[in-house]
Amino acid sequence: MGKITCLPFYLLILFSISLFSQERFTLSGTITEIASNETLIGVTVAVPSLSTGVVTNEYGFYSITLPKGIYELQISSLGYQDIIQTIDLSFDQKINFQLLEDAEQLEEVVVTEDIERLNIRKPQMSVNSLSVETIKKIPVILGEADIIKSILLLPGVSNAGEGASGFNVRGGAVDQNLILLDEATIFNSSHLFGFFSVFNPDAIKDVKLFKGGIPSRYGGRVSSVLEIFQKEGNSKEFKVNGGIGAVASRLLAEGPIIKDKAAFLIGGRASYAHLFLPLFDIDNTAYFYDLNTKLNFKLNESNNIFISGYFGRDVFSISESFVNTYGNAVLNFRWNHLFSDKLFSNLSLIYSDYYYGLKLDFVGFKWNSGIQNFNLKYDFKHYLSNNFQVNYGINNIYYRFNPGKIEPSDSESGIIENQLIQKYANEFAVYVDIEQNITEKLSLQYGLRLSNFIRLGQDELNVYENDHPVSFDPDLQIYKEADPIDVINPKRSEQLATYTNLEPRIALAYSLDPNNSIKASYTRLSQYLHLLSNTSSPTPLDVWTPSGPFVKPQLLDQYALGYFKNLKDGDYSLETEVFYKDIQNRIDYIDGANLIANDAIEQVILNGEARAYGFELLLRKNRDRFEGWLAYTLSKSEQRTPGRNASETGINSGSWYNTPYDKTHDVSLYVNYELNEKWSFNSNFVFQTGQPTNYPIGQFEFQNLAVPYYGLRNKQRLPAYHRIDFSATLTPRKNKGRKLKAEWVFSIYNLYNRRNAASIGFSRNGDTGVNEAVRTSIFGLVPAATYNIKF
Amino acid sequence: MKNIIILISCFITFGCQDVIEVDLPTEEPRLVIDALIRLEDMDSPSVLVQIRASLTSSFFEEVPPAQLQEITITNTESGAILNLEESIPDTGIYENEWDLQELTQGELELNIEYSGQTYLAKTKFVPTVPLDSLEQGTTTLFGDDETEVILTFTDNGERDDYYLFDFDFGEYLVSEDEFYQGKRFQFSFFYDSKLEDDRLVTISILGIDQDLFNYMNQLIQQSGEDTGPFSTPATTVKGNIVNVTGSTNNDSIDHDSFALGYFAVCQAFSDTLLIKK
Repeated sequence: MGKITCLPFYLLILFSISLFSQERFTLSGTITEIASNETLIGVTVAVPSLSTGVVTNEYGFYSITLPKGIYELQISSLGYQDIIQTIDLSFDQKINFQLLEDAEQLEEVVVTEDIERLNIRKPQMSVNSLSVETIKKIPVILGEADIIKSILLLPGVSNAGEGASGFNVRGGAVDQNLILLDEATIFNSSHLFGFFSVFNPDAIKDVKLFKGGIPSRYGGRVSSVLEIFQKEGNSKEFKVNGGIGAVASRLLAEGPIIKDKAAFLIGGRASYAHLFLPLFDIDNTAYFYDLNTKLNFKLNESNNIFISGYFGRDVFSISESFVNTYGNAVLNFRWNHLFSDKLFSNLSLIYSDYYYGLKLDFVGFKWNSGIQNFNLKYDFKHYLSNNFQVNYGINNIYYRFNPGKIEPSDSESGIIENQLIQKYANEFAVYVDIEQNITEKLSLQYGLRLSNFIRLGQDELNVYENDHPVSFDPDLQIYKEADPIDVINPKRSEQLATYTNLEPRIALAYSLDPNNSIKASYTRLSQYLHLLSNTSSPTPLDVWTPSGPFVKPQLLDQYALGYFKNLKDGDYSLETEVFYKDIQNRIDYIDGANLIANDAIEQVILNGEARAYGFELLLRKNRDRFEGWLAYTLSKSEQRTPGRNASETGINSGSWYNTPYDKTHDVSLYVNYELNEKWSFNSNFVFQTGQPTNYPIGQFEFQNLAVPYYGLRNKQRLPAYHRIDFSATLTPRKNKGRKLKAEWVFSIYNLYNRRNAASIGFSRNGDTGVNEAVRTSIFGLVPAATYNIKF
Repeated sequence: MKNIIILISCFITFGCQDVIEVDLPTEEPRLVIDALIRLEDMDSPSVLVQIRASLTSSFFEEVPPAQLQEITITNTESGAILNLEESIPDTGIYENEWDLQELTQGELELNIEYSGQTYLAKTKFVPTVPLDSLEQGTTTLFGDDETEVILTFTDNGERDDYYLFDFDFGEYLVSEDEFYQGKRFQFSFFYDSKLEDDRLVTISILGIDQDLFNYMNQLIQQSGEDTGPFSTPATTVKGNIVNVTGSTNNDSIDHDSFALGYFAVCQAFSDTLLIKK
């Protein structure tokens, strides 16, 4: 049986190898931007006569192998002038192309490939790219361009409301997104509880979001991959740009260390220290800052080295007695090496760390927690032939989790220093990913990832009767923390639990004609880390916990099917997809679970399941003075945790309930209109079904407390959420021919000042003694102005 | 510790708040037993035991009293039984005098007959430690109209303690001694609104067990205003009152007709403080 099922695979390889029998040569090189030497991602190198082509990878590299001959090449990317060049391919050649930016020439509408444009032939589906230019145009709260806020306008992406951290993809949880900044994992994507994201848009080159059909080179999170690459730095000349906004200012400098060979980039961003002061008549401080740095060295044609770093912190302080600091730090070394003109490799060594610290003087303690990891990745891209590319690599991550250390804040404090048990784990993966064009019409991308997770020994490990850390009280019908029957001290080298998973991925595209295609994909992913979060939206103090003896890894199966169409010669594109996904072992918490400073978190966790399905539509107008998109998502996202045996009720009576981020309808409309060289206008409209919530089914009194009580979870919904934002960008005419370029961005968030409910709370008014339903809305109409400079 | 989330969410929801009208779902009324018995005077030989029986109501309505057919407490060790009576009709408050010793020694059972159903709850006396000091502070956390009170007590290092603090006006806090075992511990509590001058507040420390700690922790969360993005899932908080009707045949227990509330006997120490502006 085994041999028979393998047969088609061999045939595919034989088929592709047979193509080598003709005399073929390889053309390869790097494509950069002429003014800065910045490598360009996703540039198309097309050979119109053979109707074939490739796009540059994350490091600007391309490789294409063609039969001997004379070809006209077309090199194109949105925002850049095309290069058309004739080459005589009679030996292996290296040609580096340099593209000229086309940004300010509106009259000359560029007809090119585009990183945001739809690729009809590629099997990759469920992916959205946003250019930094688009992100900077989208009007957002308080005028700060924001990556996370921008991707919320795409179909299938939402969040738990204003002031909520992170984002949810296709009904998945926030901790199920793999966020990569220059290949390094970022654990918390939000500043100031979600008002801003941690990415400085000035330092960003490329943003890509995979919602499904995730290639096998990615793993470790089950919902999505948000891959962000930072700029490398201008190796031609020194450049500065920056901006002054209503809440934050930013400055970025880049320039050559050795001209054309080495460059640096350093960017900083900080919000003003007393951001919310006008809103509160108290002594408080709330600010964030982040720093992006990057060095790149072009050693020779075959070797490039990149060193990049990110450091960001949020600081809150209230009356000096409540001080809260948290943020990410990433240090990253990468080495690009070309083994041959067909074999590209990248080695990454990454250290990343998430820190959370809290000082509460009025209780007398300090609290520090965090997660550190060392990540090694070695990725290869093998351009075997024009129709056959193999990507493969390995990845190993070592984690150290510090769930928290508590210390007395001063000598008066009665708090005893206590280190919660630190946890250790290792995650290893090896993958192969094949992109293959079977026929003119049919192309495939398939791969396999083998992942292995080992939970390593720790200082103290609880042992429970029947291995059940959660007990069920049959009389009261509630779950309770079980008492450990023993505590063991396994050695660090011991394996407390080992999980190995095989994750197949397959995607295919069938082009009906050059402008229509059907794509389908299946993805299996496993996730070994879980964010312990029992709230509608994660908080910065939520800690990550590894899978282990009691917490199983999450396993996802996702199926997606889509129809894609380019209309009017690519002026418009239409993407429609349906998806279904199912996640095993989604953790859920018993009623009343305490997750903070809990040294035995397994006592409040049960393994459940989650599922989501939906329909997404994206209609995009791609170029011209008037561009934008309409995104619509119809979806359902639920979870449940049945009892472990027939006598248990499970969580929420074991029945399916809406996840806090389930939104039936989600509509986003974004338009950008460039009136003339001076003015451009942007607007977006958002409509979403209200988030699931709970209304009390009754109340009771106990010891002078009026307690609302609730039925099954998330049965009701908040009122629908909608708003319009508007922004106008003024580029003064005097910029022309001047070195210093400036622009003004004026924006209004929530134009018609709708009081969207962020929550509805039910409690007794302490002054009147009357029970009330209180609606909290976060942002009304918010105007803002930002001044940007560039020289 | 548990209040960090609440603190943060207070901070973050600086947007505007308004009272709105909402149509609420309703359910058949349920029995609620408030049988948290505080033992403050350990010198007096007898104690007045008071238990309040009520029914649930819709959120915007008054809570009605419940008329019980029978309510007794049994000390299963001594075999003594206390019958409680509603001394003032239609208040739902059932009371009677009992020997202190019966409440502090041995297992206790609360038996209730209501509307053809039999309810049972079990508990045991939980001791606690006295407050060392109670004073008014001068700092505020979230706004000028807060009032700070500073409590100090010394934890008993011999046992794992759980505490319930009653700050008057239906304001409660729970704490466990995990991080201050056997130590003298001081912390501040902030009243939301400025208390008027010369207001006398009574603050109590109660000894509770882990189950009641979990229960009160949930009640405090559910009754608070905190339902923002950092709120925890809303639920029906079940106490330790079990419907045992027909329990001779275990399968026939109707788990849907459970009662709410809690039966506990706690040692308590109280102190008063005259609030000054």
